[in-house]
Amino acid sequence: MLQHGNDAGHPAPTRRRFLTALAGAGVATAASGLLSGCGTAQAKDGPLQFWNFYGPQRSPDPAVNAQSKWFVDMVDKWNSTHKTKIELVYLPQPTYLNGFKLPSAFATGQGPDIFLLSPGDFLRYYNGGVLADLTPHMDKEAVADFGTALDSRTVDGKVYALPMEVEPLSMFYAVDAWEKAGLSEADIPTTWDQMLDIGDKLRTKTRAGLVFETNPGYYQNFTWYPWMWQGGGDVLDKQGNVAFDSPATRQALQFWQDSVRHGITPRTLPAAGDVISAFKAGNVAMWQQGIWQVSSFKAYAPDYRYGVFKLPAPEGGEYTTALGGWSFCANAQGRNPDAAAEFCAWALGSMSDDSIDRMVDWCTRAKSDVAPRATALERGAAKGGYDSEAMKKFKDEVFPGGRAEPRYPPVVYKAISDAIQGTMLAGRGVASETERAAESIAAYAKSYQGASLI
Amino acid sequence: MASEVNAVGGRRLFSGRVGLTALAAFAAVISILPVLWMVSAAFKTRSTVTDGNLIPTEFTIQNFVYVFTEVPFVRYLWNSFFISAVITIAALLFHSMAAYALARLRFPGREKIFMAIFSTLLVTAPVVLIPLFIVARELGLLDSYAGLIIPAIFNAFGIFLLRQFYLGLPKELEEAAVLDGCGHWRVYWNIVLPMSRPILSALAVFFFLANWNAFVWPQVATSDQSLTVVQLGIASFQTQYLSNWNYILAAATVAALPMLALFFTFQRQIVDSIKTSGMK
Amino acid sequence: MSSVAAQDHRPAAAPAAPAPPPPRRGLGRKQREWIAAGLFLAPDAIGLTLFVAIPMVLSILLSFFQVSGFGSYEWIGLGNYERMMNDPLFWDSMKVTGLYVVILVPVLFCVSLGLGLLVKQKLPGMGAYRTALFLPYVVSLVVVGVLWKFLLDEQVGAVNRAMRAIGLEGESWLGDPTLALGCVIAVMVWVMMGYYMIIFLAGLQEIPKEYYEAAKIDGAGPWTTFRTITWPLLRPTSFFVLLMSTVAAITGGLDLIFVLTNGGPANGTSLAIFYIYQQAFGFGEYGYASAMGSFLVLIMVLCSAVIFKLTRGGRFDDGE
Repeated sequence: MLQHGNDAGHPAPTRRRFLTALAGAGVATAASGLLSGCGTAQAKDGPLQFWNFYGPQRSPDPAVNAQSKWFVDMVDKWNSTHKTKIELVYLPQPTYLNGFKLPSAFATGQGPDIFLLSPGDFLRYYNGGVLADLTPHMDKEAVADFGTALDSRTVDGKVYALPMEVEPLSMFYAVDAWEKAGLSEADIPTTWDQMLDIGDKLRTKTRAGLVFETNPGYYQNFTWYPWMWQGGGDVLDKQGNVAFDSPATRQALQFWQDSVRHGITPRTLPAAGDVISAFKAGNVAMWQQGIWQVSSFKAYAPDYRYGVFKLPAPEGGEYTTALGGWSFCANAQGRNPDAAAEFCAWALGSMSDDSIDRMVDWCTRAKSDVAPRATALERGAAKGGYDSEAMKKFKDEVFPGGRAEPRYPPVVYKAISDAIQGTMLAGRGVASETERAAESIAAYAKSYQGASLI
Repeated sequence: MASEVNAVGGRRLFSGRVGLTALAAFAAVISILPVLWMVSAAFKTRSTVTDGNLIPTEFTIQNFVYVFTEVPFVRYLWNSFFISAVITIAALLFHSMAAYALARLRFPGREKIFMAIFSTLLVTAPVVLIPLFIVARELGLLDSYAGLIIPAIFNAFGIFLLRQFYLGLPKELEEAAVLDGCGHWRVYWNIVLPMSRPILSALAVFFFLANWNAFVWPQVATSDQSLTVVQLGIASFQTQYLSNWNYILAAATVAALPMLALFFTFQRQIVDSIKTSGMK
Repeated sequence: MSSVAAQDHRPAAAPAAPAPPPPRRGLGRKQREWIAAGLFLAPDAIGLTLFVAIPMVLSILLSFFQVSGFGSYEWIGLGNYERMMNDPLFWDSMKVTGLYVVILVPVLFCVSLGLGLLVKQKLPGMGAYRTALFLPYVVSLVVVGVLWKFLLDEQVGAVNRAMRAIGLEGESWLGDPTLALGCVIAVMVWVMMGYYMIIFLAGLQEIPKEYYEAAKIDGAGPWTTFRTITWPLLRPTSFFVLLMSTVAAITGGLDLIFVLTNGGPANGTSLAIFYIYQQAFGFGEYGYASAMGSFLVLIMVLCSAVIFKLTRGGRFDDGE
């Protein structure tokens, strides 16, 4: 698509081009169609494309506008100081996540030069050979500044993606419903059982007591992992052996199943998943959600009274949560991988004030996130970015002890997802689902070739 | 079955008609209620859009204002209109030509060719999407109107339906014409095409609608914002953490209205001309 | 706009125009007919070859490769087909598809035939009824998905509200695997019934009035008339509707599933086409997806053969 960008203004192909194309097509396609996947058709000129789901766009939501502007400003700044130009291409997030566009582009060698990547997709892209090594463009000091935030983005000591944010999960609750039921801050649950009891107390026909994600997908797995980790369970142990079939895993599956079975957790998301509307309309009492909702509340329901508490742990378990967040990547098969990688490092991973401040700006002003770099977190805190009650809680209570979202590839994701869905929504036996998932993960791990799964 | 009902005496006829009218009205209401709900939701605010009420508690036209002022929705509508119109016209012409040959001309391998064309109906779109993308790229069709239009023209559905229709036309008409010395093109153009107006108008509605609602191919084949079609425009109202359902439904209402008008205008013509063609 | 449109189709129409006028000598009538047929068929034949047949062939070729999703291809022979045979998730999705097709197609057929018969009547305001019944088809499937997601919401959805109003318990329509599949079918019937109604209506209008008049004179009741006249004479249309709706049921509905259930709950609405999509575009397994897709095409070839048999081909084979 890159080399034809100039044609866009013309309403229709000229007759000659059309006929020539038709004539040449059979031969051309038959000969080279299938195997011409690798970027050969890409033109060398034109700006590098940065596909993302933030900007440029316009929105009635000031937060969304601020996020869009952050991207635009960043790219403008780069373009004014560098020879290789960059162009932002905005895709709506559902299209970016579930659409056909990104996969088709990559499969045919037309992938964007710079793009956003989630942990769940990391290995697939890495093993596919499209992630450029960013390490040569970064100071050692900067790598150290990111610290553990890079763990799931590193292979053999090399950095392949730079996180722009860290997004921990916690519980959000409706203060009004809480108070009306005679509960106070002292009643904030610290165990699963307590949380189920409160959820049961707060639920009505039109108000869900306790909401967990219900739609199958990477996101649901992400929200479920902490419940498993808290009991000491894991998908793969530190040596990379399959450890999925454990009491902790079963306990976590049982927890969600019980909550649904007793009607405390609804089988579908209230308000079709619009968290702010659901809280405002009184359709939910507690919802497991991420730090990003802080800025959504601020933008859309600044007066709404909500509270945040960290995920309760099971009896004898240890607190943890899952840390999500997206990162910048450079396409190793793009038109200019070196410049693309340089851009990623320049934008987020340099020791310059500019780079650090950009991250502070993203995590405390444009969005509400924990900054992945120690320096940025400090500066953000010094600037008052974490002074609000909710953000303070996230920074000081929820985030410490959290664990990065794992980078399991599709087969592993799918096995776990099926176990969660089967137990939670189809009422299948916890033991059999756990065993089945563990078996298919083991079978996959045995034949898997590629970067380390953990 | 009006005729069957008519057969019986006046009283029965009357009650039969009332019953049928009631049934038709009932079916229409079932069919239309969800859409009415959509239209009403388009006038709701974000916080009430999911409340399930048929009548908005907080009435607003802000969603429509937003749709038309904050994004180039008119441009999206125009793109979709232009693309759908061109596809429809080209498809009707090509398909009726092919169907005419398959139904009325004698040539070796006719049934085999028909079966081959027919079998393309069975090709599943998501499976061929990547190869189709490669073909479109090799032809230089990506990110252009041509890329949105040309691959969408060819579809065996129209050929099949038209062939069925042409098989039913009386032979005498064109035989007379051929004896008069008309070439096959003139028979097709002057006789067959005008006679197929009813089926063509039905197909025009179907083609236009299908392309107006096209989503997957435009998503894959274009990145240029100026080529955005209306369904992609609707989808773009979904942002990362919030779904602006009120805007989505307002935009969907705007997108559905012209199609409804199109159908309402054409449906009389479709059915009437089918009736009056009186070929049988 | 129309000028551009005309310009766009002229090149392809042009080759057909010089189709042999009068030169009586030279070519025989037969040969001229062959050439004319070739020219008439050319645009569609080229287009279908380029945009359907070649992609399909490429897709079958792909099914013999291990594809990374990033441009690397490795020949693995029948490896993908072997994997398919041993993939319980694929066979689960085939079971869901089977159930979906077996319920959706007959229900849709009966509903739209019934509506076709109904709106054929001359009743006051029939144009409005027809439009109302066609209305759902006008809305794109993505939007239909959003719409029904709200209507079927378990807390405040209109459906559950209506049920509570008459004293019933609401259901979690989209939260239970079996109910969710039922909902997808019901929504699909709601969307498509107007479309097939129009096709049935066109078919019904083609049946000569004289037959009905004769039946009336013979004193045949509505049921007898339907059984002896309408049903047999409607066979071509029935064939068409049955075939199209079966193919559409097997290959379509993806947009709706995305929005409504995303294949859940517990893979309850994971139709084969959804699973194929997921493997291809979610997991980058294009080779494997192509193998399953090719298998699905084979299934459809068999299905259409069965339908062909069942309806005795409609008007399908009396070409001459």
